[in-house]
Amino acid sequence: MSLLQADDITVRDGTTTLLAPVSLRLDPGEPLVVLGETGSGKSLLAQALMGTLPLGLEAKGQVTIGAQVLNSGAPDQFRGLWGREISVLPQEPWLSLDPLMRAQAQIAEGHCLVRGLPPREARIRAASDLSELGLADAAARYPHELSGGMAQRVAIAAARAGGARIVIADEPTKGLDAARRDEVANLLLNEMGQSGGLLIITHDLALAERIGGQLIVLRAGEVVERGATRAVFAAPGQSYTRDLLAANPENWTGKAAAAPAGTAVISSRNLSLARGRRTLFRDVSLDIAAGQVFGVTGPSGCGKSSLGDTLLGVIPPLQGQVQRQPGLHPFAFQKLYQDPVAAFPPRRTIGETLMDVVKMTRSDPRDVDRLLDGLGLQPDLLARRPGAVSGGELQRLSLLRVLLRRPAFIFADEPTSRLDPITQARVIKLLTNATESDGIALMLVSHDQALIRNTADAVLPLTPPCDPARAAAKKRVAIALQ
Amino acid sequence: MSVLDLSAAPQPPLSATRRVGVVLIALVAALSLLGPLIVQGDPYAQSLMKALAGPDAAAPLGYDHLGRSVFHRLAYALRLSPVIALAAVMTAGAAGLALGTLSAAKGGWIDRCLVMLADALLALPGLLLILMVLAMVPGTALGFWAGLSLVLWVEFFRLTRAATRETLASPAVQASRLLGFGAAYVFRVHIWPEIAPMMLTAAAFGTATAIMAIAALGFVHVGMRAPTPELGLMMVELLPYWREAPLALLAPVLATFALLLGLTLLAGSRKT
Repeated sequence: MSLLQADDITVRDGTTTLLAPVSLRLDPGEPLVVLGETGSGKSLLAQALMGTLPLGLEAKGQVTIGAQVLNSGAPDQFRGLWGREISVLPQEPWLSLDPLMRAQAQIAEGHCLVRGLPPREARIRAASDLSELGLADAAARYPHELSGGMAQRVAIAAARAGGARIVIADEPTKGLDAARRDEVANLLLNEMGQSGGLLIITHDLALAERIGGQLIVLRAGEVVERGATRAVFAAPGQSYTRDLLAANPENWTGKAAAAPAGTAVISSRNLSLARGRRTLFRDVSLDIAAGQVFGVTGPSGCGKSSLGDTLLGVIPPLQGQVQRQPGLHPFAFQKLYQDPVAAFPPRRTIGETLMDVVKMTRSDPRDVDRLLDGLGLQPDLLARRPGAVSGGELQRLSLLRVLLRRPAFIFADEPTSRLDPITQARVIKLLTNATESDGIALMLVSHDQALIRNTADAVLPLTPPCDPARAAAKKRVAIALQ
Repeated sequence: MSVLDLSAAPQPPLSATRRVGVVLIALVAALSLLGPLIVQGDPYAQSLMKALAGPDAAAPLGYDHLGRSVFHRLAYALRLSPVIALAAVMTAGAAGLALGTLSAAKGGWIDRCLVMLADALLALPGLLLILMVLAMVPGTALGFWAGLSLVLWVEFFRLTRAATRETLASPAVQASRLLGFGAAYVFRVHIWPEIAPMMLTAAAFGTATAIMAIAALGFVHVGMRAPTPELGLMMVELLPYWREAPLALLAPVLATFALLLGLTLLAGSRKT
């Protein structure tokens, strides 16, 4: 007996079909992964299964949950199942906790109001949920006092408190680094156990591989391939799946050994940086030569981006120096942003913004056409505003804008972390090709170690320093107390 | 999700409430500008024989206690207050915009001093400040302009400063600066489009506040002096005769109400 069975789920927006008929079943103890790029319809599928489609979208098909048969075209029927049969783990769960409520109370609320236990019993159940997850001492803490991983476990416990056996997780690892991603995957698998159901919607190949179970690959609203995750990863049957797997940074072919680096375009000596009273890093010395790809990797919050901003002169260093190669024009040092939408003036078309750069630098307007062609971009994108262009295209357009300035150094700050794998592979390829052919020094910052390993000529792993000043201060307090 | 083509979307038309606001303001403006052209008359001419008389061909809204045409007095009053208010709002807007941008861009002690000055002015009741300026500056209209400007610039300053600070910290501005664009470009492309809609809203509210202040001070006999036709002054002059000449009293009240409501509707219904 399957926990959930969906037959011929279709989603339409007026006359356009967003999701072609998809059927799936969810069995106890066997997770189901729906894998796809942005815009593949994978979130629509999840919303159709839960009856939470946005207004204006129309779903068809039959969903069987336990003994109940529901019509996904009538979302009102689903409401009674939320929390009791199906629970949803929201994206970035640490943002979905109530910041003014203690951890245990958030879970007890689900036991009390959804499952219908008396308040006293709900509190006891919440406490036992927390201790099962190893969070017994966090019961009285507020969300801001929890670490990211703890907050995520609390969110999972709260989502499950209503007694639902089926958990639907939509991009549960969005914005997480590799270690945290594995932690979340293990947690979800543990929660599922032998009798629960788990449906994971993701574009993250590593997560899909880690979860295992069954796999459905979606593209543009259609099922491309389905089967056991392990079998599909080992031998993809369709060319699209092969492209998708090849786009995983883990599977990129490593970079050939680089020629010995020439003179440094930009270098730093004994650079230290602090934010507030916290030291981000100390004594960083580096040299980045023309044509070289210099990778920087490390956990979030370790100062990767700040290091780049310091090299660009946007943030003053605490100690140490940054040296630029003499003879370069002052604007030869450029930056690519993590969120390209935020890096363009929002109310101007991209063409206008690019023409501003052409006019200021007095370069040839035909450069824009040449670069558009080289980066594989359609000229009609120039008539649009930044919000109306897809992330991958906009990141290439930012690269175009930067190249118009004829840079000697580009600092790329997580340029592909918001893109799906195939687009990411394409953008990184274009970026490294452009910098190599023009002899531009590239500093590539990413939390993805595989990406850096397979792209960079030299790697700087940044780790949070053990702060001697702070340790000493603590010691002083301890001595004073004695 | 599919890419939304925002550039193809046409500019949204004025919302219904805003349109009502525009119509109300246009009606009041038509009354004050075109009225005296259609029915000629003198707002100062007295004729005690006609005191508190009802409407006739020469005075469509009747006569006040001194036998002056209420219609013509109202038309001139509706020119005086809005002109002073608009002049004050423009001065205050320009000053607030300049100082707010300066404060956000420079930071440091310039920012601190300007914020302290603005806070100090906010701590004083606006009408009291206008009264003090009126006492110092010769000429009532000039005094109102100076006093209202002094009260109103704080709002523009605070709005500009807050929005500009946020915009200047954005990656878009950082990218423009790294590319080598100067302060003028940053202001034109990044800051102005961000604050322009807010400034227009604040200007409409500011105009309403200013008209109200002039009328309120006129009503308590400390603003414009008789026999100048002014909204507040007309109301208080006609108040004792409300039983004999209700239309004469209602006319300035309704006109003021329509003007203030129109400005508030125009300002307040911005959806973003």
